[in-house]
Amino acid sequence: MLERVLRVLEGAIEAVGQVVAWFVVGLTIALTYEALARLLFVAPTVWAYDVTYMLYGAHFMLGAAYTLRRGGHVRTDFLYERLPEVWQRRVDTICYLLFYFGPVLALLWFGSGFALEAWRRAERAITSPWMPVIYPFKTVIPVAAILLLVQGLVEFVRNLGLAGR
Amino acid sequence: MTGEALGFLMLGGLLLGLLAGFPIAFTLLAVALLFGYMGLGPRVFDLMTLQIFSVMRETVLAAVPLFVFMATVLERARLIERFFLGFLALAGSIRGSLYFAVMVTAILFAAATGIVGASVTLLGVMAGPLMLRAGYDVRLSAGIITAGGTLGILIPPSVMLVVMGPVVGVPVTQLFAGAIVPGLLLGGLYLGYAMLRCFLDPSRGPAIQQANSEAGKGKAVAELMLGSLPVVGLIFGTLGTILLGIATPTDAAALGAFASVLFGIVTRRLDWSGFREAMGKTLEVSSMILFLVAASNFFGAVFGALGSSRLLTQLLLESGLPAMGLVVLAMAVIFLLAWPLEWVPIVVIFLPVLVPVVAKMGMDLLWFSVAVAVNLQTAWLSPPVALSAYFLKGVMPEWSLKDIYLGMLQFMMLQLLGLVAVVAFPDLVLWLPRVLQR
Repeated sequence: MLERVLRVLEGAIEAVGQVVAWFVVGLTIALTYEALARLLFVAPTVWAYDVTYMLYGAHFMLGAAYTLRRGGHVRTDFLYERLPEVWQRRVDTICYLLFYFGPVLALLWFGSGFALEAWRRAERAITSPWMPVIYPFKTVIPVAAILLLVQGLVEFVRNLGLAGR
Repeated sequence: MTGEALGFLMLGGLLLGLLAGFPIAFTLLAVALLFGYMGLGPRVFDLMTLQIFSVMRETVLAAVPLFVFMATVLERARLIERFFLGFLALAGSIRGSLYFAVMVTAILFAAATGIVGASVTLLGVMAGPLMLRAGYDVRLSAGIITAGGTLGILIPPSVMLVVMGPVVGVPVTQLFAGAIVPGLLLGGLYLGYAMLRCFLDPSRGPAIQQANSEAGKGKAVAELMLGSLPVVGLIFGTLGTILLGIATPTDAAALGAFASVLFGIVTRRLDWSGFREAMGKTLEVSSMILFLVAASNFFGAVFGALGSSRLLTQLLLESGLPAMGLVVLAMAVIFLLAWPLEWVPIVVIFLPVLVPVVAKMGMDLLWFSVAVAVNLQTAWLSPPVALSAYFLKGVMPEWSLKDIYLGMLQFMMLQLLGLVAVVAFPDLVLWLPRVLQR
């Protein structure tokens, strides 16, 4: 039962990652179009600046949980990798409690407040003449926190040894 | 307790936390939240959100996923293979030609892409089996592949320099221009060393037997031309446009990524599964780097708000250490840190601590940053925690890890020589940016 729940959650993180991975393609196409429009036709777009940071910012934030699942977040592993696997799990279990859930929950709570405020005021970005709405982009922070929370719980339960790795 | 002292305690807490081997980004966030809350109160939470958001909006850093994407695509499209083989067919009968081919290919690939893993793996796959068959010296071969492959992180366009730009407050374009001469200098040192060893003892790099008919030579020249065209095109399209000031690094990275995908499709070497793999790998690598950048941006903001960075600057300025002594000290610390740590945490956590001091002393930040970049390249060659060794071992299982290590160590010494040269002669860095600005 537990194993099935974990699989479903991991599947969800994986699926989100597969979608978010496409953002880099979008970024490539948008900026290539902009560069060609500007260099060849001297007609810069109004949206390129905002689209750039939105795709890039959402890409790495929403991909953080996927990266955790793939074991991609860099560790100082010169001691860690020498430990037997049982001890690696124990160290990880303690570290998840000490270093992980606190920041992720704080990011969820305060990031939600940050995004809600923008929704409430229907805030727009004032850095470019295009002035796009900024609240969907700010919502990326709490969503990233939820994804991290889910994948962190999966890792934590697996490290406890309640389910297979 | 004063805020400043709290900040130093925080740095100590971080070092302890790092030892536990937990993913650094989260350790950073936790430590900064804890000490920040003690020193600044609840406003630390809003500081966290704002600092992360400011990294999310930094368009300069958007070049990171694009350069990573470009490199992972080019790795799968085997861009450089044709050039390498053509070169070899032409010069294979010369002693030590494989060292030469590896180094030239490495420099070209480094100038086309900006990450390390791709170059080492690629060179290992192409040159490793040939070197093995030709009876090349294992250590020298492993050394030149890892050293040449790691040039990708230094020779622009380089992901490391993109991340460094906002941290030190120097335009990425200038960092790119400054890193070219030192990068070529290191490449020259590596190649000179390998050729010298080969000259002194020919058994380290015997000639490769092959048919040397006129027709074969003509074909080789054609292959070489065809192979180098796309590489040169890419280098001009990305690096060239950046240095000439036509495109920002981010725009150029997008153009490069676009061209790389086209190249992969046209040569039919990039299929659907390879493309999806490249996207997934890009997400993983750039999320790792950028989430860490965001976390340490918050950490640095807390360190600054506690007043510790100001105090540290003041202490170092009042220590009576001459400017050059300070630079040497900083380089030594970074060199030691690069042993257990990767370049990302060093650039985003420790470099910001040093930058204000360097700036206050009136030293050139561009020169200092490029010297740090050269220094950090050693992080990739310092056994036993050097990733490039594992990349190489992954594709050349016949070579023992011990030989790979011993080979890398020799080239690490050359790198130190290069670092000394860059520190002693700032013009190695500053000359090209000066010329380009005219």
